[in-house]
Amino acid sequence: MSPVTHSATDSDVLQRSEIDRSLRHPVMFFLTSGAAWLAVSILLGVISTAKMSSPGLLSDCSWLSYGRVQAAHINTLVYGWGMQAAFAVIIWLMARLSKKQCSSAGIILTAGHVWNAGITLGVLGILSGNGTGMPWMEFPVFAWPVLLISYFVILIWSFVQFSMRPKGEGETFISAWYLLAAMIWFPWVYLTANILLHCVPGHPVMAAGVNAWFRSAMIFLFFVPVGLGAAYFLAGKVTGKAIDSAQLAKIGFWSLALIGPWAGLQKLAGAPVPYFLPYVGATATALLFIPCVAGALNCLRTILTDKETFSPSPTLQFTTAGLVGLVVLGITGAVTNLPGSSLQFTQFSLSGYGFDILAVYGFFTLVMFGATYFIVPRVTRREWLSRRLIRTHFIFSVYGTIFVAIVALFGGMLQGRGQEDWNSTWAGGQFAAPYAVTMTFSWALILFSNVFFFIHLTLMWLRLGRRGTQPTLLNTTHEEPASPHGEDGDIDNAGPGHAPAH
Amino acid sequence: MSLRTFIIALSVTFGVAWFAVVVIPYFKMRDLAPVAFTEAADGATGVFFPKRTGRIANGAEVYGENGCYLCHTQVVRPTYAGNDMFRDDWGGLAADPDRGDTRRETNAWDFEGETFAYIGEMRVGPDLSNVGRRVQSAQGADAEAWLFTHLYNAQEIPDRYRSTCPPMPFLFKKRAITGSPSDEALDVEVEQGFEIVPGSDAKALVSYLLSLKKDQAVPAVLNFAPAKTDG
Repeated sequence: MSPVTHSATDSDVLQRSEIDRSLRHPVMFFLTSGAAWLAVSILLGVISTAKMSSPGLLSDCSWLSYGRVQAAHINTLVYGWGMQAAFAVIIWLMARLSKKQCSSAGIILTAGHVWNAGITLGVLGILSGNGTGMPWMEFPVFAWPVLLISYFVILIWSFVQFSMRPKGEGETFISAWYLLAAMIWFPWVYLTANILLHCVPGHPVMAAGVNAWFRSAMIFLFFVPVGLGAAYFLAGKVTGKAIDSAQLAKIGFWSLALIGPWAGLQKLAGAPVPYFLPYVGATATALLFIPCVAGALNCLRTILTDKETFSPSPTLQFTTAGLVGLVVLGITGAVTNLPGSSLQFTQFSLSGYGFDILAVYGFFTLVMFGATYFIVPRVTRREWLSRRLIRTHFIFSVYGTIFVAIVALFGGMLQGRGQEDWNSTWAGGQFAAPYAVTMTFSWALILFSNVFFFIHLTLMWLRLGRRGTQPTLLNTTHEEPASPHGEDGDIDNAGPGHAPAH
Repeated sequence: MSLRTFIIALSVTFGVAWFAVVVIPYFKMRDLAPVAFTEAADGATGVFFPKRTGRIANGAEVYGENGCYLCHTQVVRPTYAGNDMFRDDWGGLAADPDRGDTRRETNAWDFEGETFAYIGEMRVGPDLSNVGRRVQSAQGADAEAWLFTHLYNAQEIPDRYRSTCPPMPFLFKKRAITGSPSDEALDVEVEQGFEIVPGSDAKALVSYLLSLKKDQAVPAVLNFAPAKTDG
């Protein structure tokens, strides 16, 4: 697992720009449609948290009732945005790491459309009252084979190209291990959960257990590895430095592979499943602290060796924010899942939602934003239009996420304490309402920033970005002698390769 | 490390956990052996089989489709995992006129007739393991009507004016009264000449909710807090 090398010869630069160009439309398709789903998801999140404090809101419309909107909110966040952002990053990064141009952009794009059609029908299914009632798997039953098949078609090329990469390239970069692992884990996890729950009727309580395991695995065996894979790449690439510790990178990866698959069943503590399962799940979730913190610290130490590159780079700022989110996620997982102490307060409170949002938004999404700011100028050969839009996006996303996650996590603990206090009468929703108001407000802030992100991204896809060799950075001066993105930043028309810009 | 070694290592680390916490428990629990009462310990014979009546399969479907599990749980945890048992009417009834304290923990046989146990995500509302028992004991013969009104708009019920349970008027039909009002009509405010009657989904859901009575006596082997015996 050697550092990224920077022997940028003309042919290397040319090859990179050819790879970028071959993936322009698939990458931009996944990012843009993902961003659109993200906006939809957050809008649904605003509605659902608002309904938690004002239940009568919009209640005449069955499509907007709380139970359906909240389910649609999470499913669009996971499959509409999360998975599609991951697709964009995986196909691009794997092509770069395998040094191969994409020769099947058309097939990937077609499968991408099928994926989006599946999500659209699935969401309409949930909102029209045909959901399955299984958390994170609420899409009607027809959706999962469609999604799984399009998943294979989208990513098979990346996998095959990597296995056939040129020999003698030295050791594989850590990002590739993370992405390959995520590409293998997801179908295994998704297939297991869907086959068991839809095709092999089992005991209803263990079915709920498999569902809880599925959700945990989606977070720790898909979103975490994809996010860390991207973060390692960006940290090394933008700073131009070697990864801080190759050994820590290995420890981080293999501890995730060893511990991750055991987590999840703690959600069923006290339910009639075999007694060891919740304890195994709780232990694993607490131990996942190790891979989370190892990966995050390794990337952060790489990024922070170069403070001058850090402050103007939107990529590094988003990635750093996401990595801090990962450290918090690791700590939260350890602190909120202790049987006999904290688990009973968090098991059935807002904390669960807060944990999911922290993982999918506070870590994964922020890193994906960082990756987007790095990848898009390269595949479109245009620079981002507006520094102000990027800065607004950053501030609103990060502060909004902090609010949603902290309020849900800690509000959830207090809510849980209220629930467990059996000497007082049950006050139900009043335990949650004040936190819901804050979350509505924070989601609205995040929505505001992401609508602009979507517009910015669409303009970039239409190739209306700024022409020029100077990347859009967050400081106001343009005096840097060279691009802090390294030689690779020089992708535009006048670059050494001078490939035609269309 | 070659790609092949990598994939094998990944499959082993994942596969062991996959078998241990997912596949084996799932298939073991598929064929759960029934638990019998024993004459010596329980003073009864036969097999423990909590019988449920009502439109359980249909109602559970409506329950899932409308996301009830997002705010309500269906599990009464043993005391090592939470304080659910100490609430007067969650695990059963603290003072049932005929049977005394009927409270008990949820067990694996309680989900008879369902395909997916709605253990639940959050407790914005109370646990529903014994909602049928609870409402029937409080409302008597009006239990069904009370649940319909609660689903239509919980805030219509005087002592529930602060309820955060989302109203679900779309499960009901508003129709012009022809002849005499329907027996099923809800006692809620509606414009003159009209009445609100439950639709088929609302009926299935209420039937399901009334079937939630998980407080039958269990065999001693399933009892978390068996009565102390002398000696």
